[in-house]
Order: sequence, then structure tokens, then C-alpha cells
Amino acid sequence: MSTLSVFVVILNVILALLFSLGLAPILVWVERRVAGLIQDRLGPNRCHIKGIRLGGLVQSLADMLKLVFKEDFQAKAIQENFCFSLAPVIVFVSAFLSFMVIPFADDLIINGERFIMQGLPTDLGILWFLALAGLSVYGIMLGGWASRSKYSLLGAMRAGAQVISYEAAMGLSVVSLLITYGSIHLGDIVAYQGELLFGFIPAWGIIVQPIAAIIFIVTAFAEANRTPFDLAEGESEIVGGYHTEYSAMRFGLFFVGEYVAMSASSALIVTLFLGGYHLPYLNTQTLQTTMPYVLGFIILTLPLGSFYAMRWIKKHNRWYLKSDVRNTESAVLQKGLIGLNILVIAGLGALLYLGLTPTSTNVATAVIQVLTFAAKLFLMNFVFVWVRWTLPRFRYDQLQTLGWKVLMPLAIANIVISAIIIVVKGL
Amino acid sequence: MGIKVVKRHGNTLKEKLYLPAIFGGMKTTLSHFITNLSDKPHISTILYPEEQPHDISERYRGVHRLTKRDDESVRCVACFMCATACPAECIFIEAEERTDGVDEKMPKRFDIDLLECVFCGACVEACPCDAIRMDSGIFSFIGKKREDFVLTKEQLLANKEKKQ
Ligand code: SF4
Ligand code: SF4
Repeated sequence: MSTLSVFVVILNVILALLFSLGLAPILVWVERRVAGLIQDRLGPNRCHIKGIRLGGLVQSLADMLKLVFKEDFQAKAIQENFCFSLAPVIVFVSAFLSFMVIPFADDLIINGERFIMQGLPTDLGILWFLALAGLSVYGIMLGGWASRSKYSLLGAMRAGAQVISYEAAMGLSVVSLLITYGSIHLGDIVAYQGELLFGFIPAWGIIVQPIAAIIFIVTAFAEANRTPFDLAEGESEIVGGYHTEYSAMRFGLFFVGEYVAMSASSALIVTLFLGGYHLPYLNTQTLQTTMPYVLGFIILTLPLGSFYAMRWIKKHNRWYLKSDVRNTESAVLQKGLIGLNILVIAGLGALLYLGLTPTSTNVATAVIQVLTFAAKLFLMNFVFVWVRWTLPRFRYDQLQTLGWKVLMPLAIANIVISAIIIVVKGL
Repeated sequence: MGIKVVKRHGNTLKEKLYLPAIFGGMKTTLSHFITNLSDKPHISTILYPEEQPHDISERYRGVHRLTKRDDESVRCVACFMCATACPAECIFIEAEERTDGVDEKMPKRFDIDLLECVFCGACVEACPCDAIRMDSGIFSFIGKKREDFVLTKEQLLANKEKKQ
């Protein structure tokens, strides 16, 4: 292994960490702020470090500190100490590991060496995800059982039944996808989606396999225990559900695990149905051939975008009292944005001026694709949050009816139809 | 009497598909989200401790106060009507004879336990002399011990009517 390959592997692991763990506090913030704005409230906006609020993001840091330093209380009745402590770890680790097979960019070729841009360089792809996503429910069930509380047990039972019924439909919808894409390796699946359908529509999964997309997205919501399928923690009936008896960081692991799982589900939805790291109409080859134009476009649009962002910040990032330290934030943000602009434009300008070598084109492609993936991931996470603050919870029988009587037959029918189409096309 | 059949909703195909309704709801929430991010947000949240509420009306039931006569002496005649009317039984009155000739009786002690009070206003309705009112406009009362929440006659007399 050369130093380069070590460097790329470490970079990939860091990226995977950032997208899963690093995103969790941001997602908590997004959740709370979006919930506020949807309900005509403000959401957390006070917390600040020397006036820097970042729109309330600092609150997430404060909450994490609080979780770490809280008393880790455990009821005397809980005797299965090991299981009790293991449960949140299982939930967290399985959510975290399922992120590891998502490709962030097309295979990177530097000096003739080929690197797979994902956390773990394996071809298992979607099988890995299905296996680990199903594992997290064991953590929930173990936690619910070891808590020795009726609420926890009921919550865990609901979660178990729900995941079993939705996993079936999810697996079946994935089968029809595999028939279409002809591979379980997520990199191949994304490469397939870079092509054009009939020459003018991007062949994204959501267009090629709309029914599978709907089924998969619905089941992903259930899999991540998000509203409308978050029966496992119905506050009105069973308090906190499976995590009623947990406190401090053991609860924190459940909590963060939920967001990592949501992020992982979004990542998989993006990879399977929304073209993965591809920009629409720009697959890897096109992106590489048109790289100078793309870079020029970025150089032009970045200052424009920053200008509008700055105007918005200046207008809205205000605090009630004029003299408050929080009012100094806009100036700091402005400096930061200008600095970023100068840095990016100077870098890209130098790159264009010196001329693009194959290696620099490849690296630039990878960077653009990672950013595209991040943007899509963020959007999909936003959809998860948005749905949560729109829909009420399903009733338990409705949930099971939907899972077994609607999604499951639909998924099977979809497999048959896709198989027929593929065979007919292949003839 | 005839039987009225109430139409059940949720049985048509469109409703059973869930998705149209879900997208409709998502449209509503997104429109709220976007208006609130744009230049004219609908948010009426105030930044509370710094910004005080501005909608405390004249009829708002705040912390009680004991009113005074024209000569600045206590108006209450210790008739116990308020204490009798109080559903929370949180008014404690001790009467004494009034010697200044204005009236015959007045309270020696007049305590209200705010931790028990449910702010129903029954005491105000019951008083025949208009001696107790809840128009001080105080909506938040802070104390460090339980005892701090038992308002004495002096404190109640010191509370002023809220200026509109
Ligand atoms: S407001 Fe109601 S509860 Fe409070 S002291 Fe008066 S009568 Fe009692
Ligand atoms: S406040 Fe009014 S009702 Fe209560 S004891 Fe005094 S005079 Fe009577």
C-alpha cells in the first residue's frame, strides 16, 4: 500500500464519519428549527459562543455536553446490566456501520490506482445495508426487555413487529431494483443511473422504478422508526417506549443512533433512487470532459449565491437588544463567507490557469461528486424531518395492514412486472 | 326519531391511497416553512425574558392585590367571604377590631398562598367591598422557598393596579 492509498482510505473513513456521526448534531438542529418554522415558532436560537449562534446550531453542542455530564441513572429493578448497556450500543453501531457501503463519489483514479470511494471498500453494497439495518431492531428489543418496564417492553414489541413486517416489503422492493440494475454493488447501481433514459431523462431509480421507490421510501421511514411509523415511542400511550428507562449517554446513544439511521436510510434512498453522486445530465465522463466549464460556472455562481445568503443573514440574523453580543455574528459570518469565496475562487482559478491534468480532473470530479452527494443527502434528510412534522402517527392496526396487505403484494407484483419487462427487452 | 347515518370518511380509493393527502399536508407545512424563512415571517414568538408580553389585557387575572380606601387605609372588612368562596382554600384571614372609627373590623393577617391558588377569580367575585382584585398584571411570580409564595397583607397592599 502506498501512502496515497492509505491517505484515500483514511479520507473515506473520515467522510463516512462526517456523513453519519458529524451529521447527527446538525440533523437534531435541523429537526428542531424546521419543526419550529413549520409550526410558526422560532425553535432554539439563544445559545451562543461569544455571540456566534450559527442559527441555533450551538444548541446541539450544549445538548450533547448536557447528555454526557448527566447522571446515568439506572433503576434497581434492572438486573440484566450487560444487556441493558449493550442495547444502545447495538442500535448505534448498526446504524453507523450501515453507512459504510454508501459510495460518495465515482471510483477515484489517481496515477493509475483505483480507489472505491466508500467507508469500507467492499462490494456487498445493499446486502450489507439490509443486514445491518435489520440488526438495529435487536438493540431496541434487547433494551426494551432488559429495562423491566411494561412501557419499554410494549415499545420494543411494537418496534419488533413493525420492523419484521416492513423488512419483508423493503427486501422485495429491493429485489425488483436488483433485477433492473443487475448488480448489488452500489457503485454499479449509481453508474447505471448516470445514463440517460430515451436520451433525455436521467435514468434515476425513481423514474425507472417508481413503485419500488415509493415502497422503499415508505419502508425506510418505518425502518428508521420515524413518524408516521414511530409507534415504538408513542408518548401518549407508552411514555418513551423502549428508551423510557434510559438516561444520560446511554439514552444519548439511542438518540444519536436514530439520527444516524435516518441519515443512512436517506443515503441509501439517494443512492438507489436519486442518482447517487451524479448531478443530473452530468455523469462522470461528461463531468470530466466539461470540467473547465463546470469550474467556471462554480466561480461565477459562488459569489452570487454568497451575496444573496449574506443579504438574508443581515436582514434576519438580529437579536432583540441592539447591544447584545449576538448582534456581532453577522459581521463574523460575512468575513467567513468572503474568505471562503476568495479561497475557492483562487484555488479553482489557479487550477484552470495551470491547465487540468488527468489527476486533477479526477480529484475535482470526486470533490464535486462528494458535494453533490452531501447536498442530496441533506435534502433527503430534510424530507424525513418535513414528513415528521406533517403527519400524525399511524395506528398500530393501520400500520400492519399497510405493511402486509398493501406494500407486500405491491412489491411482489412489481418484481413480476420488472422481471417480465427485463426479459422481454433482453429477447 | 329517525336514525341519522353519519358518513364515514376514508373509504374512497383516493383516501385509501394515503399519498395524495400526504402530499397535500406536506404542501401546507412547506408553505409555512418558506413563509417563515422569507422576509415576512408569521412568527409571533417574543424573546421572553428580554421582551415582555404585550397582550396582558385589563381583565387578565394576575397576582391579587388588596385595594385601599380614599384615606389609604385597607378596604377589606375581614368578612371571610373570599376565603369561603375560594375553591383552593388558600386565603387565610385573621380578623381584629378596627379602632380608627372608619369601620368595625379589619384583617390582622391576610395571607394568600399562591402555590395553592388556581387563579380562578372567585375571591374577587365574592368580595362585597371590592377589597380584593386581581388586576395587578403580574403573570410570573418568582420565589426561592415555599414560604416566599405566601403573600402577606402588606405585600398584597403594596401591589399596584397595572397601568394600561
Ligand atoms: S383566585 Fe381563586 S383560588 Fe386564588 S385565592 Fe382567589 S378564590 Fe382562591
Ligand atoms: S377581601 Fe373582601 S371578601 Fe375577603 S375578607 Fe376582605 S372584604 Fe371580605
